[in-house]
Amino acid sequence: MKVKIKQWNGVASWLWVANDENCGICRAPFNGCCPDCKVPGDDCPLVWGQCSHCFHMHCILKWLNSQQVQQQCPMCRQEWKFKEGDTS
Amino acid sequence: MNEVQTMPQGLSAAWDTVTSALVSPLPTNALPDEVLCDALALLGGHGLGQYVEGWLLETLQVRLTTSVAPEFWTGLKQPEGESQERDRANALLKAFRNLLQQLEPFLGGLERLGSWQDESRGGLCGPGARGLTERAFSVVRAILLFSPPPVLQERVLEFYSRTFSVHMSQAGEAVEAEEGSAEHDVGSLCPGCAALVHLCWCQEALEQLQELSHILSRLQLLERVSSEAVTSILHQLIEQRMEQRCRGEYESSFLTDFNDWLGQVLGWLSRVFASKVEEVGNDATTTDVKTGQPTNALLQRWHCHMHQFFCRIYVNMRIEELFSIIRDFPESIPAIEDLKFCLERTNQRQQLLASLKSAFETRLLHPGVHTSDIITVYISAIKALRELDPSMVILQVACQPIRKYLRTREDTVRQIVGSLTGDAEGCSDLANELSRADPVTLETQDSEDEGSDPEDWTPDPTDALTDKTGSKRRSSDIISLLVSIYGSKEIFINEYKTVLADRLLHQLNYNTVREIRNVELLKLRFGESHMHYCEVMLKDVADSRRINTNIRDEESRLPVEEQSTLLLSAMIISSEFWPQLKEEKLELPAVASKAMEDYTHRFEKLKAMRTLRWKPHLGSVTLDVELEDRTIANLTVSPIHAAIILHFQDKGTWTLEELSGVLGVPQEMVRRKLALWQQQGVLREEAGGRYTVQETSSCRERADRSVMLIDSDEEGDSNTATQSEQREEKLQLFWAYIQAMLTNLESMTLERIHSMLRMFVAAGPGVTEMDVNELQAFLQKKVRAHQLIVSTGVYRLPKTTQ
Repeated sequence: MKVKIKQWNGVASWLWVANDENCGICRAPFNGCCPDCKVPGDDCPLVWGQCSHCFHMHCILKWLNSQQVQQQCPMCRQEWKFKEGDTS
Repeated sequence: MNEVQTMPQGLSAAWDTVTSALVSPLPTNALPDEVLCDALALLGGHGLGQYVEGWLLETLQVRLTTSVAPEFWTGLKQPEGESQERDRANALLKAFRNLLQQLEPFLGGLERLGSWQDESRGGLCGPGARGLTERAFSVVRAILLFSPPPVLQERVLEFYSRTFSVHMSQAGEAVEAEEGSAEHDVGSLCPGCAALVHLCWCQEALEQLQELSHILSRLQLLERVSSEAVTSILHQLIEQRMEQRCRGEYESSFLTDFNDWLGQVLGWLSRVFASKVEEVGNDATTTDVKTGQPTNALLQRWHCHMHQFFCRIYVNMRIEELFSIIRDFPESIPAIEDLKFCLERTNQRQQLLASLKSAFETRLLHPGVHTSDIITVYISAIKALRELDPSMVILQVACQPIRKYLRTREDTVRQIVGSLTGDAEGCSDLANELSRADPVTLETQDSEDEGSDPEDWTPDPTDALTDKTGSKRRSSDIISLLVSIYGSKEIFINEYKTVLADRLLHQLNYNTVREIRNVELLKLRFGESHMHYCEVMLKDVADSRRINTNIRDEESRLPVEEQSTLLLSAMIISSEFWPQLKEEKLELPAVASKAMEDYTHRFEKLKAMRTLRWKPHLGSVTLDVELEDRTIANLTVSPIHAAIILHFQDKGTWTLEELSGVLGVPQEMVRRKLALWQQQGVLREEAGGRYTVQETSSCRERADRSVMLIDSDEEGDSNTATQSEQREEKLQLFWAYIQAMLTNLESMTLERIHSMLRMFVAAGPGVTEMDVNELQAFLQKKVRAHQLIVSTGVYRLPKTTQ
């Protein structure tokens, strides 16, 4: 007997490769989107800091804009620097 | 002194003169006027004038009791043994004729006396002609009809019925001739008098009727004698006609038809009450045929009466049939309109409500009726009743039981959503309703300000439910009514999400035109924000297609030997936005899992920092099975089926345990899935629970290979977790709370646990809907699992090893 597979339609869910479930700022799941967005994924990406914490991009930008003096990671209070080459 | 003696002589002569003049059947010719005058003057002069009147009435009374009345009754009963209707009619007429003849002298006398009184001749005074006859007729009525034997009514009824049918047959002749009624051809019976044609006495009957009417009206007995008979005839006939014409017939209106008919009936009435009508004109012409409105006050009264009666009978009949009328909507619109017209004229709304409610309960709301049928009837009821009663009160009240009942059916939401999206078979009403222009948004409906003109306000009918919602909440919009059965649209939106997920995961062909349209339509109804999740789901489908083509392109650029043997395409979903999918374990054969791994790598390259989590049990596989003597081509199966048959490719015989082990799936499940391949004739079960490939087909039944056969339990399979499973998971959430509470408080009753949970977890979703029974069931389950102990209604945790 020989089985010839012509087409395999699979189902998969995508997820961010992050070290946490939820965004530390908006508390919404990473796999969802930030409160200002409607659509997850490409439209509401994650960014990583050099401290290895990650957030919804929109959330951390909002946070950084509100910080007048020093730009710190809201989780660990280190100076916030985007991790190179990770944001697409 | 002389005078005194002579007085009585002169007086008695004068008395005789006067009295004989009064009762003599012949007019006063016998005596010259002056003699009478003198006599009267003499009587008057002696103060005896007033006694003349008394004497006359007395005499009348005595005559009536002693001879006239008994004679009348015996005359009426006379042709006792005979059954000839015609003879009975004759007897009736004769009895009345005699009566009149007997009373005529008195009537004449009364009139004469009355006229003397009017003229005050001879110093007479009294009530006058009018008053006297009035008095005399009440004497007649009192004596003759104080307790009439039933025979009178019987005879009158019979006679009137006959003349009625005679009249109707004559009036309706033109119509009947057009209809080509067969009765004429048979020829043996006259349609009017039901006698042989050559013996027809129609004309005679009509003449008799006329005479009788005259006699009765002369004696002022007409209404007293005929009303009852006429009423009962009319009632009976209307009922009969309604029964014949209208029962079970909803597709045409009967109002005008009946109005015409009532016009004809009025013609007969005008014959019956002929003498009263005379002042207006000749018998039958008193009705204006076109409008059916009689011109005479008496006939007008009868017309009103008949109309009212017609309405009542009609409403009664339709109330009985209302369920069927609703079921037949919209074909039954004419019946609804008739009913509406009549219902406004009779006070029978309560009756209608009660009857309709009980009809629903007995015919619709029992376990034998499919939910979709109940919904269909409910939709028809909404449509029909909003025609019938624009205030929607009947709709609201009568359909309360349906709504209540639907709430108890588990599949109600699914059915409604299914028909909303046009998936349910044979029920396109809701889909049409959804795509209707100018939808009622469920958002604005709740708002206080309705923006309608206060001048247009009308009070609620008295039978409206006095609930706080008021009339503005009584929507007639079908979809809002259905959605409001549960009181919240979230349930529907969630259900729709589930349905949509199912459809998308079953199709897997990225074709979403219809779904997009549905979502857009639903957005108009439920509001943009509620449908957001569905939009993301649809976007996932579109994105998946793009990613797929991307990955395919990349793959095709690879050298041939590196290309995957398996053509894999994926539906990539955003897990946060889809309903919870069933989690099942399934180990796919290497060839498939390798392909998925590759796919994941390419995806990761495409979308940085993102990866895929495959749901191996979901999806579909199209494959060909090539056997020695045959090929089963283009079979579409689920991944688990494909996995099973792929394993058989490597090894011809497997046991259930082996398969279960290699697939990571329970044996029971494997056995069920194997059924498909057995059905296809690819595998065969052998002794000892072994399954073997059947390389050569036995000559018996070759299943049609193009048709996909699937064991029955497969069809109902849904990819999303069922409602109850989701529910279970939610309750599981409480378990932690319950454990904590019981650890601290040691033991609690069911009610206590329930109220505590409500207090602590009220903020969470879904808690508010949990009732005590559900909690009890859940706790019972825990008790059975030995995680909880219950004694005398108190729950406690088991003493664990400490």
